[in-house]
Amino acid sequence: MDTSVLTRNNVRVFGQGTQPMLFAHGFGCDQNMWRFVTPAFADDYKIVVFDYVGSGKSDLNRYDPERYSTLSGYAEDVLDIVRALDLREIVFVGHSVSSMIGLLAAHQEPDRFARLIMVGPSPRYINDPPYVGGFDRKDIEGLLETMEKNYIGWANFLAPAIMKNADRPELSRELEESFCSTDPVIARRFAEATFFADNRADLPGVLVPSLIMQCSDDLIAPFDVGEYLHRTMPNSTLRVLEATGHCPHMSHPEETIAVIREYLSAR
Amino acid sequence: MTDRLSDVDIGVDSLLETAPCGFVAFADDGTIRAANATLRDMLGFDRDELQGRRIESILNIGSRIFYQTHFFPLVKLHGRAEEIFLLLRSKGGDDVATLCNAVRRQRGGEWITDCVLMRVRERQKFEDALLRAKKAAEEANEQLELQAMELEMSEQQLLEQGEELERQRALAEDANRAKSAFLATMSHELRTPLNAIGGYVQLLELGIQGPITEKQADSLARISRAHRHLLRLINDVLNLARIEAGRVEYNVAACNLKELADAVLPMVEPQLQSRGIRYSLDIRPDLTAYADHEKVQQILLNLLSNATKFTPTNGSVAVTGSVDGERGERVRLVVRDTGVGIPAERLARVFEPFVQVDDSHARRAEGSGLGLAISRDLARGMGGNLTAESEVNVGSVFTLTLPALLPA
Repeated sequence: MDTSVLTRNNVRVFGQGTQPMLFAHGFGCDQNMWRFVTPAFADDYKIVVFDYVGSGKSDLNRYDPERYSTLSGYAEDVLDIVRALDLREIVFVGHSVSSMIGLLAAHQEPDRFARLIMVGPSPRYINDPPYVGGFDRKDIEGLLETMEKNYIGWANFLAPAIMKNADRPELSRELEESFCSTDPVIARRFAEATFFADNRADLPGVLVPSLIMQCSDDLIAPFDVGEYLHRTMPNSTLRVLEATGHCPHMSHPEETIAVIREYLSAR
Repeated sequence: MTDRLSDVDIGVDSLLETAPCGFVAFADDGTIRAANATLRDMLGFDRDELQGRRIESILNIGSRIFYQTHFFPLVKLHGRAEEIFLLLRSKGGDDVATLCNAVRRQRGGEWITDCVLMRVRERQKFEDALLRAKKAAEEANEQLELQAMELEMSEQQLLEQGEELERQRALAEDANRAKSAFLATMSHELRTPLNAIGGYVQLLELGIQGPITEKQADSLARISRAHRHLLRLINDVLNLARIEAGRVEYNVAACNLKELADAVLPMVEPQLQSRGIRYSLDIRPDLTAYADHEKVQQILLNLLSNATKFTPTNGSVAVTGSVDGERGERVRLVVRDTGVGIPAERLARVFEPFVQVDDSHARRAEGSGLGLAISRDLARGMGGNLTAESEVNVGSVFTLTLPALLPA
């Protein structure tokens, strides 16, 4: 077992079951985002959570700008973990960009994946008429700018906090949990890999049964996108949630759990 | 005040309503529960117009994505967010830059996120300028790195050009060596039949193969002269080629210059006498060079025959020898004539192979034009040198320097 991968990606494994349920976080956060959902499955599954290299408490020394400039590099992270733990019959749960990362991983090793559960997925965020992704290129540039501005702000109040670390270790822990990715260069690269990606051509090739969880009124993954995915992906199921926004696993964990559970029990 | 606030339906009291910062409260699903007058004014909304809207609807698109990917996860997981830069969107569609502090807490039976929004104007200008400066610095840095790479590349190219030149020089040297080797071989091959010609002419002249007529004898004499001339030319070519091919060996030893000069004299004496040229020799009897005796003789003979050749009737040729150098480490042998002299522009080239002073001289004086080139090569080969000074119609001075035999 390659334990270096487990440290590199800050992998945590828990739960009573044998079938693995692998939760992959989205852009901007880390494995903490799953903490409202994972306990509900811990009795029946082996829960695996992790941070992509560059996010959360992953090993930043292992960050390779080349590898992580496209989503396939992140898919490699998933496959490294899957191989290190020798996971099979995997129920993969990916939020947002991780839906496509999981899809790419399943492309590589389809036999290991039993189900793909996609929370707010989008194969392409930028409009490409007649395809509607929801954004124009300048919108994404606006996001990059907002991120940049916030790193100025964060740097301002991170500095004194870090200075105080020595006698207030609990503060540093708090900060670590708060900031999903603190390196602005890495965050920007992840944003570009995410929002400039186009995975539409990869959709028809994956036969692993999948669940598309489409939120109501999701600005990041609009309804049209969910429809498009359902049309294009073989063996896909589309469920429209009552939950609004883009993070139902955080804003509406009960409904999210119920929909996933229903899908998994229906097979 | 917190208690009173939670009791009030609209969620804000009169103080908060007009506080000098925007205030908005929204539920986890993004629905706005309350907003104060300052925020409504900031964005151009009427009273109650904001309530029930989604929080994303008052954000510009970039900030909407940031809200979903960063801001909401932050307040949800951490309970609060501080100093978050957000671009709000006014009713009229304009961007309004704000800094936001937020706290998420349970209030009135649901989780509410309370946000205060400070408008930033001047600060944003500074930040924009800062970001621009940062970008410019990064670009300049990239440029510098690019230039450094280019420099490295041109350095590499220079190195490669140097190597190419070195290769070409080696090739040229090889070619020159091959040429010299060819000349040496050819000269040798030419001499063999030439020796046969000379030998048979002699046999005929001696009448060993039968009597010859006077006319035949005259013809044989002409053949013999031509043969000697050709032989000398070939010998010169052979010598030069040998020197250039690095195939000359020097047998260096003590070499008494007075004795050496005396031994050379008989070889030029007939010409000197026939043309009435005065000859003088002034060398101390113990003047000793450390050189190859035979080669010094060859050089001196060449210098003397040149002097004789180019000095008119009744002129003079003088040979002097002396010690040279601060510690007497060199000897100097000077041959001075009162001949036609060499024009300054030609003087520099007299030591080049195949060069004679001019065509008319070449015609008047026989020779290959290699004598001086060979002599200087030999002198240098022994650690000495051969130089010339001259004045037209006054005469020429050739100076041979050689290492002296220093007392042990």
